[in-house]
Amino acid sequence: MTVLLAALFLLVALSGTGVVLTREPRRQVFALAVNGTVLTLLFFALQAPDVALSELAVGTAATPLLFLVTLAAVRISRHR
Amino acid sequence: MNRRWRIALLGLAGICLTPAIWRVATALPRFGEPSEQYGPAVNRLGPALRHVSNMVSAVNFDFRGIDTLGEEFMLLGAITGAVVLLRGARGEDLTAKAARLPGRQVIGRAESTILICRLFSPAIMLFGLYMALHAMVTPGGGFQGGVVIASGLLLTYLGEGYRGWRRLIASPVLAALEGGGALLFALAGLAPMAAGGAFMQNVLPLGTFRDVFSGGLMLVTNAGVGLAVTGGFGMLFLEFLEETRATQSEDTR
Amino acid sequence: MTVLPWFAAAWLFAIGIYGIASSRNLIHLIGCLSVCQSSTYVLLLSVGYRWGAAAPIFYDHPPGTMAVDPVVQALVLTDIVVGATVTALLLAMVLQVGRKYGELDPQKLRPLVARAHR
Repeated sequence: MTVLLAALFLLVALSGTGVVLTREPRRQVFALAVNGTVLTLLFFALQAPDVALSELAVGTAATPLLFLVTLAAVRISRHR
Repeated sequence: MNRRWRIALLGLAGICLTPAIWRVATALPRFGEPSEQYGPAVNRLGPALRHVSNMVSAVNFDFRGIDTLGEEFMLLGAITGAVVLLRGARGEDLTAKAARLPGRQVIGRAESTILICRLFSPAIMLFGLYMALHAMVTPGGGFQGGVVIASGLLLTYLGEGYRGWRRLIASPVLAALEGGGALLFALAGLAPMAAGGAFMQNVLPLGTFRDVFSGGLMLVTNAGVGLAVTGGFGMLFLEFLEETRATQSEDTR
Repeated sequence: MTVLPWFAAAWLFAIGIYGIASSRNLIHLIGCLSVCQSSTYVLLLSVGYRWGAAAPIFYDHPPGTMAVDPVVQALVLTDIVVGATVTALLLAMVLQVGRKYGELDPQKLRPLVARAHR
């Protein structure tokens, strides 16, 4: 359990760094989804199933979609 | 300010704060050995006081219910702000079709995608409803269930395309869900005062432990939160996806 | 292991602030803001954790078994959902900026505003 938790904390720090270092917004959307999944695993290992459910639904479905739609709308308006 | 100056200042602030962060991180209680009293007290006394088994829901909807009321209205405010911003700047000449950029290949939707979305979208909405209703016994609640139902709506968009999705979703229904949920929460707080109790005091019968319908007033507040989150996220998705519509001058088909 | 969560949270916050300060695109900036938010979630949940304890849901195990802190979980739970709506509000604002100025680089935005006032 200790090893699992330590590995998950390091993985979360790594995926957060990945989100920041991915400069292109279209690629950062997928880094955000991966970050959401890794956070869900960490919250599950910390004995917080409610929080894990919340983060899963929000961080992998809702937030990346909003980012993608914003990018699409900006691109459409730039073309006009 | 130049970007380089900004990062240099940030680095300077980081160097100055690192000893403080080190000191605080080593002075906090060791991970896994917390020293607080409130959480264990809730765990010890909560099931007997409120007859629910999900302590997180009990804290959210009863013990710290007024914080959840504030969060609820924060949600309402943020969503209203986003919707007002998006609707105010939109023109009147938009069609009901998605915009197409010239030079981009239009790849049709695969039939397997449509099939999977049609199979799973109602199932996910049902699962979200299950999660929202079983707030008192299993991990779940209004917040989680509401977002899962909204993501089921999103699968419908993926399967049907923009026009088909717009025919299914009506904006006034989502707005009524969102506002109605927040109103239900506020009324659930005010109604006990009319019966002579305190604000949001649990005056309904508490039910038996491990039953789905236990908890008294928590069921009403949970329903309010579920409705508000479903309607709110649905409205957000709707308003954001409407930004991708084609104008009538572009629509030559 | 006893101080790893605190340093993980501090690292996430620091890298998020670095991302915000050095961002070249407003949408990338909002992604870095969500990293800052996730650092608070990690910190709060680590504060409430107890070795060998179960989840604070007394359905399968009887009430009285050792469980983690439910109060911080309630805080983080509502925070995640409300944080997503605040991100949506910020994205709506960025959309308006992108439409009006055609430019999403924070460095290039200010001269545009100054030019409009001349």
